[in-house]
Amino acid sequence: MSEHPSPSPHPQAPGPLHGIRVVECGHMVAAAYAAKLMADLGAEVLKVEEPGGDRARQRGPYPENIPHPEKSGLFLYLNTNKRGVTLDLEAAKGRELFQQLVKDADVVVHNYHPTQLASLGLEYEALAQQNPTLVLTSISPFGQTGRHREYTAHDLTLWSAGGIVFLGGAGGRPDLPPLKAAGQQAGFQAGVNAGIASLGALYARLSTGRGQHIDISVQECLVAIMENNYIAWPYDQTTPSRLGFRLIPQDVLPCRDGYIYVLAVEEHQWQNAVELMGNPDWANTELFQDFLSRSVNWDALKALLEDWLQDKSVHEVYHGAQQRRVPFAPVSTMGDLLKSEHLNARGFFAEIGHPEAGTLRYPGAPFKFAASPWTLRRPAPCLGQHNEEVYCGQLGLAPEEVQSLQATQVI
Amino acid sequence: MMSEQLPLSGVRVADFTWVWAGPFCTLQLAHLGAEVIRIESESRLCVTRRIPPVADGQAGPNRCGYFNQYNQGKHSICLNLKKPEGLDLAKKLVAASDIVAENFAAGVMDRMGLGYDTLKALKPDIIMIALSGYGATGPESPYVSYGPAQVPMSGLASMTGFPDFPPMSVGFSYGDPNGGLHGAFAVLAALMHRARTGEGQYIDLSQWETSVALVGEGIMAQEMNGAAPQRMGNRDPYMAPHGLFRCQGEDRWVSIVVADDAEWQRLCAVMGKTDLAQDARFATLADRKDNEDALEAAVTDWTTTLSAEEVTRTLQAAGLAAFPAITNKELAEDEHLRSRPFFAQLEHPEVGVRQHAGVPWNFSDTPCHVRRPAPCLGQDTEDVLQRVLGYSADEVATLKDNEVLT
Repeated sequence: MSEHPSPSPHPQAPGPLHGIRVVECGHMVAAAYAAKLMADLGAEVLKVEEPGGDRARQRGPYPENIPHPEKSGLFLYLNTNKRGVTLDLEAAKGRELFQQLVKDADVVVHNYHPTQLASLGLEYEALAQQNPTLVLTSISPFGQTGRHREYTAHDLTLWSAGGIVFLGGAGGRPDLPPLKAAGQQAGFQAGVNAGIASLGALYARLSTGRGQHIDISVQECLVAIMENNYIAWPYDQTTPSRLGFRLIPQDVLPCRDGYIYVLAVEEHQWQNAVELMGNPDWANTELFQDFLSRSVNWDALKALLEDWLQDKSVHEVYHGAQQRRVPFAPVSTMGDLLKSEHLNARGFFAEIGHPEAGTLRYPGAPFKFAASPWTLRRPAPCLGQHNEEVYCGQLGLAPEEVQSLQATQVI
Repeated sequence: MMSEQLPLSGVRVADFTWVWAGPFCTLQLAHLGAEVIRIESESRLCVTRRIPPVADGQAGPNRCGYFNQYNQGKHSICLNLKKPEGLDLAKKLVAASDIVAENFAAGVMDRMGLGYDTLKALKPDIIMIALSGYGATGPESPYVSYGPAQVPMSGLASMTGFPDFPPMSVGFSYGDPNGGLHGAFAVLAALMHRARTGEGQYIDLSQWETSVALVGEGIMAQEMNGAAPQRMGNRDPYMAPHGLFRCQGEDRWVSIVVADDAEWQRLCAVMGKTDLAQDARFATLADRKDNEDALEAAVTDWTTTLSAEEVTRTLQAAGLAAFPAITNKELAEDEHLRSRPFFAQLEHPEVGVRQHAGVPWNFSDTPCHVRRPAPCLGQDTEDVLQRVLGYSADEVATLKDNEVLT
């Protein structure tokens, strides 16, 4: 456990989702992040992996860059606080065991493709017959219906299908392609949406007594977060892109030891920034008199700002600006974050040991609950780590049966 | 009349949020059926009621696409919180609510006299969420933060961009909706906790921390190896080709991902390029990564002869992942999205029917949908004071005369 002080007055209290039983299956990020959000708040999550393991295990980062299915940083991060079993859902015996696992579950969340659901026994009707109070949350690239339901996708093509990739990239460089955000952002956004919808359905169940099926389209989750960029079309028939004009001047600019993000939304913020720069004469010219002229003349302004910043440290510019209520921000590296005095004072990073990957610090609670805290109780499961505990202890199989399932590669 | 059953039917939210992160949090609650009442003020208009896009180029607080998109399904009341009677009304509304949401900088609600301890005394099981840039504690908590800053602050920008360029933004204010979504998840968890224990609570959400949650593998890389992933444009260490490729037309691009060697062979077959299929430079993932410039040039030779839509149809028919870098116009006209149906098109008194993005989840038993358009400024003031707080029409008129409802 972390040595940092927990700001929660009840560090031992159960999380807000205490008592909720979740079964998660699929690959990579979306379902795993939805289930992680629930697990970290106290839900009892069982991760069901194919015998070959979640494909996230095949992606790094790995210690010393040596691939190892138990040491993927992506997998370790996404699967904290879960127990894990292996199960081949394509085998008849596997589907039978899955039905038993799901019988007492409150939520099943998965991101298998719509075309696979019948063969994996993940159709709602079949599961609901056994457990009418089950909430089944199905995440798919384009949803369970519509002409694109069978389209296949990865994070990049989804960022593209959601309309977001068209917004990112290098301004003024039509020769360069639109640019995706780093990492697995479509997966994370689908995951948090699936978490919201799953809890919404659980809350509905308190009054209806019924479960239900939730169909989540990753594409729609992304169209829903495009700021004013989607809605510009229905409202004024404009199409924002990476090459377009920016209303508010903002950019990433180099300092002597890193980058600072420069932004001034309100006039008084800009005036305070001018004061921080020592009231240079150029700041009083008409070229930069209001935010619109600063946007129009951004190239000229940028050169002047770069000149001012070149011998300054990120630290001095950031804190100097913020002390004057100017919303500049550091362009953090991962190392900066782990060293951040602020994040550490909040006890953000949480440390835990893992039998193969060792003791590491993880991103911790993104929100702090006063009465029922976020906790890091166990590391991500090794592949099939809880097979015996679950199949013998929970489903009542004899140890020999588990061995024979192993031999036939059902688990 | 029986009202329809929705997940959060009967849950009331006193919504003090503004700009985007907070309103996006309460939008999710409205989508789920909560009665969300935004407390607004004529003298301190939400910035999203002031900025483009505006309907048909005609400005006005009820004509902004930004506000009307992210406040669908909510109510709006105007309260002058600088007047004691206004503050008193806000407290009465909280006492009649289940949830309080706010996204001011840390400490602002306390200074207004609406801190958690005060509100908890009025409604002991109240759930209060504060979505601030830095969180309620820590040395930088008083600092000023806007959503776009979360992309650089979280380290996402440091890993986003082309290799020889500085860190890059992601094209929109990503930290805001992401903070709002995590906030909605947290509120729902707190509602589950309240249902089980009867206990409300205070939730301190830091947009910075919810943004760092999106770069977990970067943090892990730093912890494991003392170094984070480098900026690599649209490329991926484990898949190639993996990028955006130019197509016919002006600024037209298609995204293509080839997950393994078998898929590469399929792509070559679809492109009709048997020479590439046998080219040793591209045989394995390692080969393709080593020769990625040449690889991308070879794929571009093919994509530039076609439209992004043709490339997509052809590759998808072969089971390969591709999709155009779609624009907002194409999204608005997309037959797939329309058929789901994803878009919400309700009559708004000032802007008429516009095609807004709707609810991205389809519930089979309690179907969530947008139930009313975004509110005009203060349109529900009288209704909420009478229906929720029990004021008479005369009392409301007096409050109006005394400029409490502005």
